[in-house]
Amino acid sequence: MIDVQDLSKDYVQKRKDPGLRGALKGLVKPERKLVHAVRDLSFLIREGEIVGFIGPNGAGKSTTIKMMSGILTPTKGRVLIDGRDITRYRKEVVRNIGVVFGQRTQLNWDLRLGESFELLKHIYQIDQSDYDRTLDELDQILGIKEIIDKPVRQMSLGQRVKGDLVASMLHSPKVLFLDEPTIGLDVSAKFALRKFIKEINRVRKTTVILTTHDLGDIQELCERIIIINHGVMMEDGNLSQIVDRIAPYKTLVVEYYDEAAPEHPRCEMILHDGNVAKYRFLKNDITAADIIADLSKTASIKDVSIEEAGIDDIIKIAYGA
Amino acid sequence: MGKVFRELIHYMDVTAQVIKMAVMTIIEYPSNIVGWMISNPLQFIMGFAIIKFVVESFGEINGWNYGQLAFLYGLSVISHALSMIFFVQGWFMGYYVIDGDFDRYLTRPLGVLYQFFFTNINIFGVTDLIPGILVFIYGCVKCEVTVNLLFIVQVVVILIGATLIRGGIYILLGSTSFHTRSAVDFGQYTQEIMDKTTMYPLSMYPESMQFILTYLIPVGWISFYPVSALLGIDSAYNAVLVPFITLGVGILVMIVAGVYFDVGLRKYESAGN
Amino acid sequence: MYILKTQIIKSMTYEFNVYGNIIMQTIIMITSAYFWRALYKGRGMVGGVDADSMLTYVVISSALSVLLITNVERRIQMSVIKGTVATDMMKPINIFGSYFAEDIGNITALVFQNMVPILIIGSLMTGIPRMADIRDLPLFILSVLESFLINWLIAALFGMIAFTAVNIDALIQVKKHLLRLLSGSIIPIWFFPTGVSRVLESLPFVYIYQLPLSIYIGRGDRAQHLAQMRIQLLWLVILAGVFYFVQNRVTRKVMVQGG
Repeated sequence: MIDVQDLSKDYVQKRKDPGLRGALKGLVKPERKLVHAVRDLSFLIREGEIVGFIGPNGAGKSTTIKMMSGILTPTKGRVLIDGRDITRYRKEVVRNIGVVFGQRTQLNWDLRLGESFELLKHIYQIDQSDYDRTLDELDQILGIKEIIDKPVRQMSLGQRVKGDLVASMLHSPKVLFLDEPTIGLDVSAKFALRKFIKEINRVRKTTVILTTHDLGDIQELCERIIIINHGVMMEDGNLSQIVDRIAPYKTLVVEYYDEAAPEHPRCEMILHDGNVAKYRFLKNDITAADIIADLSKTASIKDVSIEEAGIDDIIKIAYGA
Repeated sequence: MGKVFRELIHYMDVTAQVIKMAVMTIIEYPSNIVGWMISNPLQFIMGFAIIKFVVESFGEINGWNYGQLAFLYGLSVISHALSMIFFVQGWFMGYYVIDGDFDRYLTRPLGVLYQFFFTNINIFGVTDLIPGILVFIYGCVKCEVTVNLLFIVQVVVILIGATLIRGGIYILLGSTSFHTRSAVDFGQYTQEIMDKTTMYPLSMYPESMQFILTYLIPVGWISFYPVSALLGIDSAYNAVLVPFITLGVGILVMIVAGVYFDVGLRKYESAGN
Repeated sequence: MYILKTQIIKSMTYEFNVYGNIIMQTIIMITSAYFWRALYKGRGMVGGVDADSMLTYVVISSALSVLLITNVERRIQMSVIKGTVATDMMKPINIFGSYFAEDIGNITALVFQNMVPILIIGSLMTGIPRMADIRDLPLFILSVLESFLINWLIAALFGMIAFTAVNIDALIQVKKHLLRLLSGSIIPIWFFPTGVSRVLESLPFVYIYQLPLSIYIGRGDRAQHLAQMRIQLLWLVILAGVFYFVQNRVTRKVMVQGG
């Protein structure tokens, strides 16, 4: 479906020294520096996959997704969508993709939402019957028809993102690119958006590529993740396998009746604060039940809970923090 | 051939929708209409008044009398107005480059330049058109031009060519921002220079400047050469041929601008995040 | 002072802006110079001025235009559109004061970046634009200061309209055209018919460009200049009064509404 080959992107960055002297110097002789934003990325994405790109800010994930959607021209390498190079055959290939970029909207700010849809209908040459059917279908998932007559400038961020999602799906693309789609959304809007992504993936077999900082997005949506840092691929694979490999531990949180918290030989106590203690242990070394049993011999336990080694741990490790 | 035709129909269809939306947007903000209806005509009425005052103080300008100057000025303002409607966004291209607004155009199955200009079509440009047409008619009357089919064809051809020349120059200037990555709006300056060089006879300037404005930055073809030919001010210019040269120059400038834009677009970096 | 300094740095940041502006302004100046040269060809005095004085007028007018750039109207509009007016106004410093400082900072940067190159290129082209009578220099400087203030006050007053009608883009354009054409910056109003120029002399615009320029090229005698400077001062006082009045009204209105 999507074939990414040796993808690289370099930028020339101008460096500016701070202060008035720096400004003056930049005027006469600006310093230029070559930045490798993305280096030699290669991977394959099959139809119907949901792939999450994660990595710290400036790691190159946005650059990658923008090259994959035809916005940026790669310095080296290429992106094939359905076997066709998106840079070379942009106009044809983009008919098969939909794009939603977080904070930015493709909707007309001043007019009612439906007007923006109408324009897209003309741009993508969608038949009236197809258009109606798609809109009905998307309406069932997102409830878009209740806001279709509202001017976009009066919408909440959540409503606007809904509008943008529908706008990007009107022409029934095979691939949907989402760059930080949930950024700034409240819980219910996030929930609706995730449901939407899962539904279109299930029903329409739409391939979804997204970048995100939201761990919930990844946990809920992505089977496969690609971790990028410093423009280089760090990990690519099944989410749970990566978690097991990089962070094969869990954390047990115990609340006692008093402040004396005992140690445990096969755990590392990573926190002891008042009545609460946190123990980290390897998943395949010991079970939580055994630890609780051991601990309850020496102290009286009020409450316990288990924290899974989360994506955040992975990210911390992957980012080298 | 069939493919080109279908493509054309597609673009026309989108254009109609875009114009419909532009008009709806204008209706959303009625207070703006009043502002532009005053502002744009005012500028050209004043410009025209200045020509009159100059002619009264100095007599003819390089052998051009008042009527001929009105004809020149009117024609120039009309092509200016047309370029404002279709190509004014070129002035602000830098802001689009910096803000990453080309992302959207690049992910749609239409030409990027087309989308850039037409989804931002500036219907308000019509307010420039009206004073232009009025002055032009005034000039026609003063010069006692015989209005026949040939004349109308000539004027239309000139206007198309002139609008393309202006548009091409805006694109060329705007496309520099792909390389500089800064938002500079040279619109006001370009406008000022164009005013002086298209609304007054080019022949009043020194030869070196005339050469530049004929061959390098072909501003002379917007109004000076065509009008010289049409009004028979200089018999060296053939009245049948010159309008088509203007059109040819316009197409050429557009092609060069389009290529330069494409080169720039490849360097497009979207908005950093 | 801090606002002023950051603005100077900001203005210098984009080298392309800087060079582009200089080139464009120079081209405009050269075109204007040739324009007048062509008009004056074979003529002595027209409108009480000869060709050389007119070229000096053009060069100094270009240089002066650098001093008369304002951003205050856009700043006010932005703060209204973004809805930050109320918080801006709560700040311990007067927002109009800080806009003023920004404009000054901006211009200070531009004096070195643009005005000096323009003057140098202008001098190469037309010869050094000498003052007609060097003893008028204090008068000239004073009138330039006043014209700067008048120009800024007019811009600020236009900006205040943003408090009532949010989008003032078109109005800013109207102001710009009025200023360009009625101030004598492009064409001195002594070329206008007497009736028109008399009307214009009672408006503030001519005192922004034409008065300092007339003093510079020595059109008219000192008595006339002094008389005109009195009108200039009068306009400055009137505009400052109106500004003060409007500013208080606007501030109160914003405070009452709470933004």
